[in-house]
Amino acid sequence: MNAQAGIDVREISYAQAIREAMDIALAEDDRVILMGEDIGVYGGAFQVTGDLVDKYGTDRVMDTPISELGGAGVAVGAALTGLRPIFEFQFSDFATLAMEQIVNQAAKVRYMLGGAVSVPVVMRFPAGSGTGAAAQHSQSLEAWLGHVPGLKVVQPATPEDAKGLLLAALDDPDPVMIFEHKLLYKMKGQVPSGRYTTPIGKAAVRREGSHLTIVATAIMVHKALEAAKALEDEGIEAEVIDLRTIRPLDRDTVLASVRKTGKLLCVYEAVKTLGIGAEVSAMVAESDAFDFLDAPIVRLGGAESPIPYNPELEKAVVPQVPDIIEAARGLAEGRV
Amino acid sequence: MPTEIIMPKVDMDMATGRIAAWHVEEGASVAKGDPIFDIETDKAAMEVEAPADGTLHHPVPEGTDVPIGAPVGWLYAEGEAVRAPPTEETPTQEVPANAPDGETETETPTAQPSAPSTETLAEQDKPRATPKARKLARDAGIDLATLDGTGPRGRIQAADVAVLEEEPGKLAAPAGFEQEAGPLSVIRSKGGTGTPVVLIHGFANEAAAWSPIEAHLSERPLIRIELPCHGKSPKRRLAGFADLVSDVRRASDDLDLQSAHLVGHSLGGAVALAIADTRASRVDSLTLIAPAGLGPDINGTLLDGIGRATRAESLGPWLRQLVADDSVITDRYVRAAMMARKDPALRAAQKAMADTLFPDGTQAFDLRPALGRIAMPARIIWGKRDAIIDWRHALAAPGPVALHLFDGLGHMPHMEAPDAIGQCIAATL
Repeated sequence: MNAQAGIDVREISYAQAIREAMDIALAEDDRVILMGEDIGVYGGAFQVTGDLVDKYGTDRVMDTPISELGGAGVAVGAALTGLRPIFEFQFSDFATLAMEQIVNQAAKVRYMLGGAVSVPVVMRFPAGSGTGAAAQHSQSLEAWLGHVPGLKVVQPATPEDAKGLLLAALDDPDPVMIFEHKLLYKMKGQVPSGRYTTPIGKAAVRREGSHLTIVATAIMVHKALEAAKALEDEGIEAEVIDLRTIRPLDRDTVLASVRKTGKLLCVYEAVKTLGIGAEVSAMVAESDAFDFLDAPIVRLGGAESPIPYNPELEKAVVPQVPDIIEAARGLAEGRV
Repeated sequence: MPTEIIMPKVDMDMATGRIAAWHVEEGASVAKGDPIFDIETDKAAMEVEAPADGTLHHPVPEGTDVPIGAPVGWLYAEGEAVRAPPTEETPTQEVPANAPDGETETETPTAQPSAPSTETLAEQDKPRATPKARKLARDAGIDLATLDGTGPRGRIQAADVAVLEEEPGKLAAPAGFEQEAGPLSVIRSKGGTGTPVVLIHGFANEAAAWSPIEAHLSERPLIRIELPCHGKSPKRRLAGFADLVSDVRRASDDLDLQSAHLVGHSLGGAVALAIADTRASRVDSLTLIAPAGLGPDINGTLLDGIGRATRAESLGPWLRQLVADDSVITDRYVRAAMMARKDPALRAAQKAMADTLFPDGTQAFDLRPALGRIAMPARIIWGKRDAIIDWRHALAAPGPVALHLFDGLGHMPHMEAPDAIGQCIAATL
């Protein structure tokens, strides 16, 4: 965090922190524009843009038609012409409709034109389950985009990082995809006022511990911290790493922790198979930290299932705090 | 088709079993249910019965280690032609490409066990070890095959190697530790006035063991001393009980107290008694809870069990023997206790200590004469369901020593009935 001394720190929500970042960017840089479905007068599907349209007008806070492919295409084109668009999806699930623009255009143009241009577009994706929105509005698809060279993919877990990573994304010359967990929008936290950035590609150690390393993303960071707190009473000290960026991964922070603890538990909401936990596990197994592993790596991820509508089933298909406690305990006690 | 006699799985951790002895010779007839061979594992020896009627052929030689589920011989029905060991009829057994199985598949009868089972055995014999354990062993020049793994399915983990590194040359020793210098750990309470109470915990315990009764004693300043090789105290090799007492006495002398109430549990009780005997003028009262040192016998099996345990599952059953009502020992308690004993060096140090103080399940020191000399107010508290030290040792006490004997309590009365024991001690402070 690059907050400058003397800046006051207030408690605001994750959604407010994002809005504040956009407000700062709109105010200080004429090239910044917001685009998305219902982000104007309506204030956004999750009320993140709020009343910014009143302050900056419809030329800079633009409602786009119900066509993610069209909207994303305009955003990518605008970025190519020198603007700094922030494009909001109503749900990250709708990224499927805009894949051509994200994967084949935004991620590729810089490479295909020999570095002569770049695509400084920022896309925001409300993601994750827990809102009762069922199979087509609850997915965690960040690993899909994390697979594409040319994109950067971040998952802020705190209000402070939500603001800092958005401002860092705008500073970045290349496309940055921001996955925001819907259940975090109302979460409050300490956020410095004014401009600061959170570095892309840098994980955060949220809690230090010596018995095992838990690498988590987004809302799972909070569940892992809750589990770590419960395990404290049993004498188990879990180190919790908030990955923050899934592309590029922060190798150094993860490997240093695994070298210290010898045990790794990955926790993420997206479907476990071929997910970010697989990448982190493989990264460790391929590195010199392998020699420090003193137990098999354990992953907790989403079930092999679409997100169910039934609220109990919806909880059952993603890792919960008791699952993390049990897995961490097994690792710490050498039972895995 | 002959009936396979397979190596059974007789305990959880078992990967292979050794044929200790055959009860019948090759070619002899057996009836289903007859004991036909003995097996030995790391932990057990047992007899195995014939799975069917028949004539025994191709028995694996005595002394061979055989993986679980692999055949150790075949029973042929009457009149059935005896052929080569029918390896090809056991498709579950993998035949490595380089095994000379081409030859064994001929019709020539052979008394030797088939090559495939030997190959499978070699596979099974590869030590299971974590990457970290392998690296430690490699760096230290230790052959993994010489180590006993304490992890799941016998997996060698870092702790199993770390232990050895400190005592090379003593490969057979299950664990080792380095001598540590420095004073014993002393933990003081914040409040309290008047004569302080000095608390000395028992073997395989630590200062926190006193917390259940501390509320009753908190009017006094409380000072908990941790025994060497316990809690945060340094680990050292003790030559005997006198060595232990001198360590603790030095710690209590360093406290520079003019007077104190001494309370000790189990081994800590013996230490408290020895200190009271030599520092009589500075000890106002002496409370011994299920103390050691008043008779020769002690439950060595239980001490070993606690010392050996490397995980909650193996520690729990022993801890539950410490109390009369085992619901006090919750799974959570056991896990916390195991975490406190997680350091293999600490366990090794305590094991060495137990071997010195309680060899062969015997208390190698006798404090009955010391108890006879005690002049300050003294009392002994004991649970009559103590499974570690017989409460009748209390009867060695001379007349002036008060006895508080509790019917429904075990070796940890202050933990099982903190109110009753706490009040009992507080009443005379």
